[in-house]
This record gives sequence, C-alpha cells and structure tokens, in this order.
Amino acid sequence: MTLHRRQFLSRLAAYCAAAGIPAFALADDDHEHEHDEDRRREPDSTTSQPALPETGLTGRVVVVGGGMAGAAVAKFLRLWGGTGVQVTLVEREPRYTSNILSNLVLTNSVQMSDLAFDYARLASAYGIAVIRGEATAADPVAKKLTVATASGPQVLDYDRLVVAPGIDFAYPEGLQTPEAQALVPHAWKAGPQTTLLRDQIRAMPIGGTFVMTVPPTPYRCPPGPYERACVVADWVKRNKPGSKVIVLDANAAITAERESFTRAFEVTHGGVIDYVPNAPVTFVDTAAKTIHTPMGPFRGDVLNVIPTNVGPRLLADIGVANAARGFAGVDVLSYESTAVAGIHVIGDASATTQPKAGHIGNQEGKVCADAILRLLGGGTPDPSPVTNSSCYSPITWETASWLTAVFAYDPATRTMKVVPGATGEALAATKDHFEDMFVWFRTLMGDTFA
Amino acid sequence: MKKLILITLASLGPAVAGAQQTGATPPPGRLLASNCFQCHGTDGRGDGTFERLAGKSASDIYNDLREMKAENKRGEIMTIHALGYTDAQLRAIADYFSKQPR
Repeated sequence: MTLHRRQFLSRLAAYCAAAGIPAFALADDDHEHEHDEDRRREPDSTTSQPALPETGLTGRVVVVGGGMAGAAVAKFLRLWGGTGVQVTLVEREPRYTSNILSNLVLTNSVQMSDLAFDYARLASAYGIAVIRGEATAADPVAKKLTVATASGPQVLDYDRLVVAPGIDFAYPEGLQTPEAQALVPHAWKAGPQTTLLRDQIRAMPIGGTFVMTVPPTPYRCPPGPYERACVVADWVKRNKPGSKVIVLDANAAITAERESFTRAFEVTHGGVIDYVPNAPVTFVDTAAKTIHTPMGPFRGDVLNVIPTNVGPRLLADIGVANAARGFAGVDVLSYESTAVAGIHVIGDASATTQPKAGHIGNQEGKVCADAILRLLGGGTPDPSPVTNSSCYSPITWETASWLTAVFAYDPATRTMKVVPGATGEALAATKDHFEDMFVWFRTLMGDTFA
Repeated sequence: MKKLILITLASLGPAVAGAQQTGATPPPGRLLASNCFQCHGTDGRGDGTFERLAGKSASDIYNDLREMKAENKRGEIMTIHALGYTDAQLRAIADYFSKQPR
C-alpha cells in the first residue's frame, strides 16, 4: 500500500511538474497538511505558455464557481477566444478540492492535499482575473453581478454570465443543525467533512458497523456512493475485521455501473456489504446512532448520510432555478438558462439528461465556451454538440473499474442522448484500471486547471 | 469511394489550414476533439497522459478510431468512445489533432 502510494505520488509529482499543474503537497507524508502553505507548489516556469489567439472577438464573461465546469469554461474562453475576451472567475475558496478520488482519502490511500488545485495557472497563463468572493445577486437587465469580497461588495459588468455553483443539500430530519452534521458527515463535498469521516472510520471498533446512504437521483457522481461502500469495505476487512458496511439506497436499484457494483457487493466484498434498496432516509437519530428508513431502522458505529442533492441557493437568487429540486433548466446547445437570457448554467447545477460529474462538467464548460464565443461573434451555437462522461471507480485498494458514455444532441427532444452502443463499463475491476485511474485524474485536472 | 474521399480531403486541406480563424467560425473539429482532452491532454498534448495525439497523422488517428469502432469489443473504453461519433466526426477529430503542434 505504501509502495503504491509512493508510486502514485511520484507519478503525480512528475506529471504536475511537466504540465505546470499547481498541485500541493506531493511528498509522501501521511501528516495532516491541508492548509500548509509551505507545501504549495508554484507552477513550473519552464512550462510553455499557451499562445492566446487573436480572434477579433471582444466581450466580458464572468464565471461564478471554480470547480471542474467553471474552471474549464474560463480556461477555454481564453484559449479559444483570445485576448479580447475578458474572463473573470469568482470563487469563494482559495483552491479547488477534487471530489474525484476523495473516497480514497477515507482509506488513507490519498491525502486531501493530493486533491488540491489552485487558480494560479489560470491567472498567469490564461490571463483570467480571479476574484475571491461570493456572488450574491445578478441584474440580468443591466448585466451586473454583485460579489461579496473581503474588501466589500464589488459589482462586475458582463456580456455573458456563467454560473457553476455545484450542488447543495436538503438535510433530512435530525440532521438539520451544524452540530448534527458534525456528528454524521456527508463527505460529499471534499474538504473537512471528508477528513471527519475518515477519522470516524479509523476510530470505528473492530467488528463495528458503518452505515451509509445513497441519495435519490439525480445526485453528484452516480457511481460515487457505491465506490465508497467498496473502498470502505475493503479497508475494514484488513483493518477492522468482522466489520460490516450497510448501504441504504433511496433508489430502487444500483444507479450506475450496476454489473461492476453488483459483483463487488456480492463477490469481492460479499459478507461485508449489505445492500438495501428502496431505503430513503426519513430520520437520523444522532444520539442513538440510528438511520430510520421505510425498510427499518439501521444502527451503526459510524453513520454517513449523503443528503438529497439540490440546486444551490444562488440559482434561485438569480432566477434560474426553474427545474426540479431547484436545479437550472438550460438549452444544452449553449447551456443558457431557459429562464433568464444571458446567464449560462453548467456542471452539476444544471438540469440535463447528463450525469452530474466532474469529467462531463469539464466538457459542458467547453461546449458553453464555444457557444459563448460564437454568440459574441454574432453567430449561433454549434447545432450538434457531443459530450462524454468517463469515470474510474476504485473497487479495492489496488483495483478499479470504469464507466463511460458519449452523448449527442437530439434535435427532436432538444436533449443530450446517449449515442446507441456508446456506453459501457469495465468487464472486471483490475490493477491496470487502477493505474489508469491516476492517469485519467492527472490529465483531467491538467485539462481543467493548467 | 475511399480514394475519392481522400482526394476531396486533400484538396480541402490547405484551404482549411490557411483560413483565417474568426471568432464566429472556430476551427472545424475543435469542439468534438475537445472531448478527448480530458484523457489525452489539452489539444492532445501533455506528459504522462494517455497516448499523445497532437501532430499525429490524420489518417493514422482516423484509421485507429475506425478500427476500434469496427472491432466493437465489449469492455474496451476506446471502442465505446469511437462508437459515439460518425465517421465524418472521427475524421474531423483526427484532422484537428494532426494540425496541433507536437
């Protein structure tokens, strides 16, 4: 395990140096160093600067949210639109923490610092203005966005506004206070919640029970909860023998990579994982450490409730939360809101037929950037965009499976539809896929942040 | 038929390459090809990525993709991706990467 981690880190370090990715803390070190600035890597000055084209296009685009979709749209607006397209990225955190691979933090294969990516290269290589702050209001008529920053409110003028605020949670009864949430983490936005859950799992008694929940669809990262069940089951087998993992699924069946996860639950981790479908959370009793569902109460030593995913409040505040659960309806040719002209919504916050996930969020950013540039040039969006969703999922500490799908625009329904035949999953969880998972992760992060 | 397509492409090639890029008309194939960037690097470049595509010959990339599509092998990630595109789209993707500096 240590050997593998060294391999991963040395490869990650080599790749980041080559690509100039501002990654953090690449040393093999198991200490906590989430906020250790000394470990911050400056982008490599030898990395070639991208030549921004002279397209003759001009315009001001403001992007809210520096996750996978927001960072990608900002980068490609500049890479493709050139120096005349002014791009401002508004983000409340100093750096992005990847949700991808964050389940491996729970089992100590990956540290939080391995998942951190900052905005230095987007600023220095692409000339993107990065403002640390929180968008609070938009005036779609005057085309102004108000941002709360440490030095007071700022008003930004835009020709096009892109919002990529991700997801928020609707907590079940019993989990609505910060105190309760500190006892029963979701760990579904990588950060302090992830390390909290890791520490709880580490402190779990031998022969203990870990109870986790899968939220109703649509939710961020469809295979993610099942992947979590697998890596935790794998870890407890080696570290907490006799322990159980109970998966309470709000859905009627496994929602992604059904073959891989069914095999993993029944064979690879058979006898450890107990999968319970049709078990939405009705009440969490933090004192009794019990999750109540229509399938009965489930008591655990460690509880992990991933609440129902909803659109962040910003979407309602700017008038674009017109789809179910407060997500934003969009025209998938441009990701322009179907409620408010001039505002585009990409990534997990948009309501489309595509999964909510980082890899496809990056692609939505590219489609949106291309469409905005065409619109700024007086044209119309590409009438036949294609997107793809790909994802590797660890099944054990050394094996992984994958899932992929290609989506194409269907003019009849005005939605993105899976191209017939162009979807599938790995036939088996293998060590090769596990290695490929890190190549995918590094390259995806490079395409997004470097 | 194949010959005819090649001739047509050859005659189009220099015209496309020499065309001034304007904002409203991005280079053909760019948005489609950007689907490959997540695993092959932005514009098909990058160290430590899956196969580097920048600067490879268009016919090599196209033929590889056509072959993966024709094989239709279950459990092959690139077969699934190749099946997501029409032959004309695959050709546009191959053409785009061939024009990127290595």
